[in-house]
Amino acid sequence: MTSITSIPAPRSPRVRTSRRTTRGNFELYGWIFMRVSGVVLVVLIFGHLFTNLIAGQGIKAIDFGFVAGKWASPLWQVWDLFMLWLAMIHGSNGVRTIINDYAERDHTRLVLKIVLVAAFLITVVLGTLVIFTFDPCPAGGPINLLPSFCSA
Amino acid sequence: MQIHQYDVVIVGAGGAGMRAALESSTRTRTAVISKLYPTRSHTGAAQGGMCAALANVEEDNWEWHTFDTVKGGDYLVDQDAAEVMAKEAIDAVLDLEKMGLPFNRTPEGKIDQRRFGGHTRNHGEAAVRRACYAADRTGHMILQTLYQQCVKNDVEFFNEFYVLDVLLSHDLVTGEVPDGEDVAVSGVVAYELATGEIHLFRAKSVVIATGGAGKIFKTTSNAHTLTGDGMALVYRRGVPLEDMEFFQFHPTGLAGLGILLSEAARGEGGILRNADGERFMERYAPTIKDLAPRDIVSRSIALEVREGRGAGPNKDYVLLDLTHLERAQIDAKLPDITEFARTYLGVEPYTEPIPVYPTAHYAMGGVPTTIRAEVLRSNAEVVHGLYAAGEVACVSVHGSNRLGTNSLLDINVFGKRAGIAAAEYAAGAPWVELPDDPEIGVVAELEEMRTRTDGDRVSDVRRDLQQTMDTNAQVFRTAESLQRALADIRGLQTRYRNVSVQDKGRAFNTDLLEALELGFLLDIAEVVVVGALNREESRGGHFREDFPKRDDAQYMRHTMAYRRPPGAVAPSSPVGAEAAAVVAATSRSGAEMATSRPGAATPGTFDVALGYKPVVVTRYQPMERKY
Amino acid sequence: MTATRDSAAPTPSSPEPKLGAVPSFDVTLRIRRFLPESGKDEAYWEEFTVTAYGTDRLLDALHQVKWEHDGSLSFRRSCAHGVCGSDAMRINGRNRLACKVLLKDLNPDKPITVEPIKGLPVIKDLIVDMEPFFASYREIMPFLVTNGHEPTRERLQSVAERERFDDTTKCILCAACTSSCPVFWTDGQYFGPAAIVNAHRFIFDSRDEGGSQRLEILNDKEGVWRCRTTFNCTEACPRGIEVTKAIQEVKRAMITRAI
Repeated sequence: MTSITSIPAPRSPRVRTSRRTTRGNFELYGWIFMRVSGVVLVVLIFGHLFTNLIAGQGIKAIDFGFVAGKWASPLWQVWDLFMLWLAMIHGSNGVRTIINDYAERDHTRLVLKIVLVAAFLITVVLGTLVIFTFDPCPAGGPINLLPSFCSA
Repeated sequence: MQIHQYDVVIVGAGGAGMRAALESSTRTRTAVISKLYPTRSHTGAAQGGMCAALANVEEDNWEWHTFDTVKGGDYLVDQDAAEVMAKEAIDAVLDLEKMGLPFNRTPEGKIDQRRFGGHTRNHGEAAVRRACYAADRTGHMILQTLYQQCVKNDVEFFNEFYVLDVLLSHDLVTGEVPDGEDVAVSGVVAYELATGEIHLFRAKSVVIATGGAGKIFKTTSNAHTLTGDGMALVYRRGVPLEDMEFFQFHPTGLAGLGILLSEAARGEGGILRNADGERFMERYAPTIKDLAPRDIVSRSIALEVREGRGAGPNKDYVLLDLTHLERAQIDAKLPDITEFARTYLGVEPYTEPIPVYPTAHYAMGGVPTTIRAEVLRSNAEVVHGLYAAGEVACVSVHGSNRLGTNSLLDINVFGKRAGIAAAEYAAGAPWVELPDDPEIGVVAELEEMRTRTDGDRVSDVRRDLQQTMDTNAQVFRTAESLQRALADIRGLQTRYRNVSVQDKGRAFNTDLLEALELGFLLDIAEVVVVGALNREESRGGHFREDFPKRDDAQYMRHTMAYRRPPGAVAPSSPVGAEAAAVVAATSRSGAEMATSRPGAATPGTFDVALGYKPVVVTRYQPMERKY
Repeated sequence: MTATRDSAAPTPSSPEPKLGAVPSFDVTLRIRRFLPESGKDEAYWEEFTVTAYGTDRLLDALHQVKWEHDGSLSFRRSCAHGVCGSDAMRINGRNRLACKVLLKDLNPDKPITVEPIKGLPVIKDLIVDMEPFFASYREIMPFLVTNGHEPTRERLQSVAERERFDDTTKCILCAACTSSCPVFWTDGQYFGPAAIVNAHRFIFDSRDEGGSQRLEILNDKEGVWRCRTTFNCTEACPRGIEVTKAIQEVKRAMITRAI
């Protein structure tokens, strides 16, 4: 017995797995963002609910004029903008982790994430546009629905 | 079949195997073959501690440690080896600490130490704090730490590979070794559990570190996997086994189950009580009481039970009382064993004493080695390139009774020595020619066992073996009981020739491997009983009721058991008429032709031929052993 | 197939009655079998009824099946008292060590379901391929990392510093935690609780100097941030390690380091 076949590797040497290392602080900051945005969103949403539903005449006050009046003020524009962006990023990131946790195949993940990003972009772009390009006094609007400061 | 070539092959990945691997793999190309994942090894079940005369908490020195080891082993210890171990203990502990082992600490931040059975100050004055520990999971920490270092050093493991034969250059069982020729090892044959494939490992050095053989007994603290593989393999190849009649019974196994409760429980202040609540160890060892060596405590417990002072409905156990200890102390120092009591017996150690009874724990004997861990094939000649360390080996540092903690020391000190010696030997040694078709014997045995269509169940034969060993060769032995055990074993060996396995597959055939392990157990049990029958004295872990005294005139020497054809004489270089070989006394008829094929013994094919080896005495002349 | 042991058959001879004198009772095991060599590609369920005693563990029942009914039933085991970590399996839907589950603690009216742990490839019956598990373990550098000269004596460490990482030193690498984690089940890419626990053991060891490297490794997309704190791992750990807490502590250490 002289010939020695060499065996490339036994069953358990210390080998790096084929797993791609994906290091960086993205997940870390993502994790922190979820916690911080969660707290901020609680304030924003409850503030929003309070002014819309409780303060003043409460729920009865809501109409086109009420909303238009609010968005005439830069404070509420910024408030709602933050609410929109934070909620969308927070929610989309949450769905992203759910996709990672439950979708087993890479292909499924990719498709679901494309759908998610598309939904995110459409909602955020439309919402932002609405907040900033909103005209409280559209020409030819029914006078009884417009806010009082619209000069007829 | 696959063929591999390594300078050093280490068989077994417990404490001794991995300690050897750490030394060897940094020096030369090394493979570790283990039938388990390394972290499953039974080193991890050791609890109490590892003694070294660090003198961190009180005055101590290695000479006292040597003395305690020698006295604890009832003077059958080779004193040069004990001295090596006690001296190197200090570095062994410090090495482990530097590898990251999380020892418990003193308030100054040094390694904490506690009392342990048989360890005393100034040659027996009082118990000394010598055991370095990590709660009651010291063995677990050692095993994990060594494995961590193996990961760090990229040690190559072949996990779930069973070594089934050790290849030597000469046939030692039936053949003669011409004068001037060296016997050397050339490799091992292994079986891959996952695929059933045979692997041949060619090696210059082989280190056997396969652990003990506690499964020859029914009540044991040993794992299901401790089946004496390494001992049986080299024994079948004609290498002797030394002092196999000495088996340690740990005093405090959970009653009925055998699960170990560390001596640390008594080191921390636990007390053994009989049914009357009496602290009975005061009668048997007035000075150190519950911390007497294990053989004494085990015998005392067995005696209490035999004389009707046992506790429980059947009066068949005694009680380990921890109820007077602080709960915080129990939680910090003994968390695991108290959990065992809760899980397995439903006993709450804070408030209730724990039922305990002796359990088979440790084989003091094994493959004889020099203090460089070289395996001896007779009293003076070694097998070149073959090393052994740990419980499988008999250096002999434990003599007839091992002191608590000295096993963890043994694996570290002699594991390290074996690793270094094996690598150094491999560096200078030539390759030894492999025999023709080296795997053929193993393949034949495996196939025969796997394909045998009908026969006895492996589990039936094993259960009968364990039962007879428990009944006839346990703490108390007599010529009569041992004869009964031997007759039973011979009968079981015959039955073994006819056992069959149900699993005929090749992938993960644990059924088949259990059958082979049973063959190892039968061989080892035979050697234990033959040795016990021959040793007509009581010493350490071997207690003969018909010869209750130690007999230094006749038996102050090691037993060497060889597998030889019937009627052959043991090659134990007789130094006088007194050392003449003794052959086990059983009548034989119709002996088959002996072959040097590996495999379990069939009665009539081979005999256990006994020889003797003198005990190395340096400083300590045998004295009466009182505690 | 149901193999039922004849109740009149002699029980394994044991001279001393088992402790607690609990009478024997019958239990039915419903075991998930997979025999790749039998020609069946699919796993299937098989029931066995065995006789148990008061102190018997599930492992004893599995042994009884293997030794008296069907020798081909395959599972790993070694120490049989919960320190070696060989026999983690899914028992009645929970990850447990078979040697730490007492049969008398399970409901005897229903069959006890026994399956291999989830998320690792099943090789045969209850045996899974542990290699992916150990690969994750090896990746987090599970060994003490130090720089500079070694002291002659031991490194000093206060009692409090030693206590800091005591919990995670108990790990026996049985994979009960990792294979109970829903995130690990998905695609097996997540490092898993066991690897993080073993990283924790070194990150919080005052003697270790490789902490920031380990944090860097676990800052992976498949690292600690995939933990959803479902506490399955803590519930599954046979050693009582607070696994989820350990993972949170590693997260905290990462954030502290980053900010």
